[in-house]
Amino acid sequence: MPHITYRDPNGRTHVVEVAVGLTVMEGARDNDIPGILADCGGACACSTCHVYVDPAWVERLPPQGEMEADMLEFACEPDPVRSRLTCQLRVTADMDGLVVTIPAEQA
Amino acid sequence: MTTTEIATSSIDIFSDEVLQDPYPHYAALREEGAVVYLPRNDLWALTRYRTIRDALENSSVFSSQRVAFNDDMNRALAGTSLATDAPDHRQLRKTLLAPLTPRALKSIEDDIGSKADRLVDDLVARGSFDAIGDLARAFPLQVVSDMIGVQGVARENILRWGEAAFNVLGPMNQRSVENFPVAGELFQWCKTVRQEDLVEGSLGHGIFESAKRGEIAPESCGAIIHQYVAAGMDTTITSIGNAIAHFAAFPDQYARLAADPSLVRSAFNETLRYEPPVNLFGRHVKSDIEVEGTLIPAGAQAAVLFAAGNRDPRHYDDPDTYRIDRDPADHLAFGYGIHTCAGQGLARIEALAILSACARRVRSFRVGEGQRQINNMTRGLSSLPVLEIRAK
Repeated sequence: MPHITYRDPNGRTHVVEVAVGLTVMEGARDNDIPGILADCGGACACSTCHVYVDPAWVERLPPQGEMEADMLEFACEPDPVRSRLTCQLRVTADMDGLVVTIPAEQA
Repeated sequence: MTTTEIATSSIDIFSDEVLQDPYPHYAALREEGAVVYLPRNDLWALTRYRTIRDALENSSVFSSQRVAFNDDMNRALAGTSLATDAPDHRQLRKTLLAPLTPRALKSIEDDIGSKADRLVDDLVARGSFDAIGDLARAFPLQVVSDMIGVQGVARENILRWGEAAFNVLGPMNQRSVENFPVAGELFQWCKTVRQEDLVEGSLGHGIFESAKRGEIAPESCGAIIHQYVAAGMDTTITSIGNAIAHFAAFPDQYARLAADPSLVRSAFNETLRYEPPVNLFGRHVKSDIEVEGTLIPAGAQAAVLFAAGNRDPRHYDDPDTYRIDRDPADHLAFGYGIHTCAGQGLARIEALAILSACARRVRSFRVGEGQRQINNMTRGLSSLPVLEIRAK
């Protein structure tokens, strides 16, 4: 299973295995990693699963869809390059080693 | 194409009999097939969780041009975010959504919490009250009216208007016909409302400011306000009322919540799964599509049965059991895809505020018999007497 590294808002780092086919949001939820709220359950409707992707990974992830791009405008302090919504990032084998940082605030 | 025999059912999903107790009928349809043709309604019902989610995601085939089940309402809704497809939908949704995101609502969240605490304090002191009229209706009426800035006569009518706005989305049955004049009052009010009719500093007042700045067309103001009232009132009322009814029906589950009010988010998701406020919505099928071996022809109308999908045993364990620790955040009550409920952030803040206010103050309570409210689209109660409260 791919390993994903989440840096939580308290400064702790969590390295967890996330099954291919789940989303990066679901990986955080299933491992009780704090800071990703995902109020809407993964419907791209709340922007509370926002993270900053490690710069080395920005280009390696599938591009944002229209809905994700629109919802990111409503996130807290979005970064034009590094911000993503984790409910829209479906884990694939080549995401092994992905590093994301969870912002201090989601709303 | 591997199309097999088409599953059909002779039920009328908008009849009193079905609306009184829809779940056995939905279960039968779901076992009949993922897609079931209903000749009496001339609808193709989508019944299973996965089928529904896939259809909602496939908005290029399952178009929102016919979300209502009668032509008059579909014409009336033309141009709203609800009834518009891509690409025009995108900007309409962004405008509608901007004031409703969790970040945008943060500034009023504390105020909503204080209002909830005051209301529940008052009800607990009274000892007996109607959980629908005095709580489930009273609270969103206050929150949404204050937010939009509605005052005076309009405020007195807003509950009737909200309920009618859902009834008229059904087929042209007796219920729709009777409710059209009431729903028309809301359309008329939205068309004629002026900025000075709304409280300064409110969301509704601000919409007119956006028009003055040229961000939206002046004629869009009424349409946006209509969506806030029509979509935001009855759904939230129904969900809060259903949550109280579930707590009353399953006292062991309420006892767990009272012991640990932090379960309120999960409990509210379970209420939305167990009995979503809106049973179904329509979609217009733009081109032939095969779904689970059934060909749905272009031009047909699909009925997306959220309430049936939410009880699909293929997706949820023991789906007919109400469990507050289940946290089914992926329920279909808010839909899915590009038309996912835009107001869910506000609905969640309102419901969690009022339900946690209850869970923090009330150890247990006893209710009398509730009255079912029959509506073409929504499922809720018209009254639920709370007879006795044991405060903490």
